[in-house]
Amino acid sequence: MLVVMHKNASPDEVAKVCALIKEMGLTAHSIPGALRVAIGITGNKEMVDTNRIASMNGVLDIIHVTQPYKLTNREMKAEDTVVSIKEARFGGGNLTVIAGPCAVENEEPYMDVARSVKKYGASMLRGGAFKPRTSPYTFQGLGEEGLKIMAKARAETGLPIVSEAVDTDTFDIVEEYVDMIQIGARNMQNYSLLRRAGRSKKPVLLKRGMSSTIKEFLLAAEYIMSEGNYHIVLCERGIRTFSDYTRFTLDISSIPELKKLTHLPVIADPSHASGKRDMVIPLSRASIAAGADGLIVEVHTDPEQALSDGAQSLTVPMFERMMQEITFITQTIKEHNGKIDKGGDR
Amino acid sequence: MIITMSVSAERKDIQNVKSKVEELGYATKLFQGERKTVIHVIGVTEREKLMKAVESMPGVENLVPILRPFKMASREFHPENTVISINGKKIGNKEIVVIAGPCAVESEENYLEIAELVKAAGANFLRGGAFKPRSSPYSFQGLGEKGLEIMAKAREKTGLGIVTEVVSEVDVPLVFKYADVFQIGARNMHNFHLLKTVGRFNKPVMLKRGMSATIEEWLMSAEYILSEGNPNVFLCERGIRTFERYTRNTLDISAVPVIDNLSHLPVIVDPSHASGDSKYVCALAKAAIAAGADGLMVEVHIDPSRALSDGKQSLKPDVFMELMQDLKKVAQAVGRTL
Repeated sequence: MLVVMHKNASPDEVAKVCALIKEMGLTAHSIPGALRVAIGITGNKEMVDTNRIASMNGVLDIIHVTQPYKLTNREMKAEDTVVSIKEARFGGGNLTVIAGPCAVENEEPYMDVARSVKKYGASMLRGGAFKPRTSPYTFQGLGEEGLKIMAKARAETGLPIVSEAVDTDTFDIVEEYVDMIQIGARNMQNYSLLRRAGRSKKPVLLKRGMSSTIKEFLLAAEYIMSEGNYHIVLCERGIRTFSDYTRFTLDISSIPELKKLTHLPVIADPSHASGKRDMVIPLSRASIAAGADGLIVEVHTDPEQALSDGAQSLTVPMFERMMQEITFITQTIKEHNGKIDKGGDR
Repeated sequence: MIITMSVSAERKDIQNVKSKVEELGYATKLFQGERKTVIHVIGVTEREKLMKAVESMPGVENLVPILRPFKMASREFHPENTVISINGKKIGNKEIVVIAGPCAVESEENYLEIAELVKAAGANFLRGGAFKPRSSPYSFQGLGEKGLEIMAKAREKTGLGIVTEVVSEVDVPLVFKYADVFQIGARNMHNFHLLKTVGRFNKPVMLKRGMSATIEEWLMSAEYILSEGNPNVFLCERGIRTFERYTRNTLDISAVPVIDNLSHLPVIVDPSHASGDSKYVCALAKAAIAAGADGLMVEVHIDPSRALSDGKQSLKPDVFMELMQDLKKVAQAVGRTL
């Protein structure tokens, strides 16, 4: 870490900053430059809390060298983490697709979608029982009843299930039924919920907050890992931008960036990113081509009748086409492995 | 400049980078951290050259510049405020300046009428577009030189200086003949050729912030003008593009104190474009003065409902008059005059 002093900082101010660094148990190296003094800090095993230094007289700027996240950092673990849920494998070169309707609405339609997505190659079922909706007046989900329906679908299809836990009150019940717990975008910085997920034995699907940076996203994963749960799959689901043609803007660059920074698997959610059915397939192809380990997509047998997110749900025939196309892309990349320069590599 | 080496960098990678930097004539200092090595390069003058030379060398993770990239615009290199004198008025001083008028110059009669009205309300400069950069090629593009002639007439009648936009380097000599201040609009903030051209003329420049420009990019654009020899630049915050849709843009009010901290150049605020709605203009104008802005640029129209452009965000003359009275009190409260 480097403390950059103001051009007009006095020798006394520099000395005081050095003294504070020593007081913090670290080593300060004063480097006089052409215009100003910079102070290098060594001896830190982790990121230094710089608040005290930043408020000293004469300090212009602080430049961090060490990343604040540790357990999620690829520097700590070079090889990919593979998260296994029954037969499903996230990471390590597998292509894994989670599919299903936005919310669980009724038993029969849910079973229909479950059978269809299994037929065309989905590895897991999704479905919301507890729904975080922007308006308190819209459908909030079936609660435990929804989880029971999902468990039935699992029993029939053999596919593991993932559903969202929206608060610590209902966490236990979701945990009891599902194979993987989803933490949604709106809860990415709900730290008590993250800690609770960290104490769970079940893997976690962590979605990126709609206005969060990659660093904040990895720090949220760090919360879960620091409690002992290392089975995390990250999910890019679009970020808030000024573009208003799509619901969110898929941050496609975050996929190679995350793959470089962390060993955790990364999947994409093209349904929420676009909010539009006819954009889901192109965004799915792009995500896989950019190096995503899988997808989570919304599929509905009759999207027009869906109680939530119908506009972004794929029909079953569209899901079938999507699976064919992304499988083809994955095979092509594998065949050319070594010939394709992977993003982020120097 | 500091060069961060990746965890996997080998000793020979570090040595190679160090040698390369020294070859370019800079002194280095190595920091062996717990896991990473950092190379501090001392006294970097040609940042681009250094970055190009080392950024793709094996083991290099990141290059972080220590100095800010703008120099002439920086307060560090010029601690006193820049005060610009235009037509007997000073911008950047204790006194707040207000630039007012319609979005575009539409007709002589209308323009002269509004000029008299804003003068009576206490405005110090007249605004008006003769060359209009419009989002659609099919909307009204301005009267051109005819518009400039009308503005010059209004200056003659009112004695107020005129601020008008120049959208192309080709028009700079023409606009120079008429205007007291060149306005560089938000859409041209990154038109470097235009910036350099106005930098070579002896006339103050009002540089608006690009709608998606960072403060650093904005100051770098000011640097383009300053480095060509024109020291009389003032900045205008006019709202930035965000995801919020209730207002046309989002006024970045923090830009005012940030500019004051980073730069010696005066900064004013355009609450009309920032909000896009006359309902919100007065509130934003007062906030801007309270935050420390050196002035305002406000759109005023005799009959906003019939304006050829930006009618929705233009104030009626009586509302403007009232706003000027309110602004006097805000200015007083923050130790300024109006």
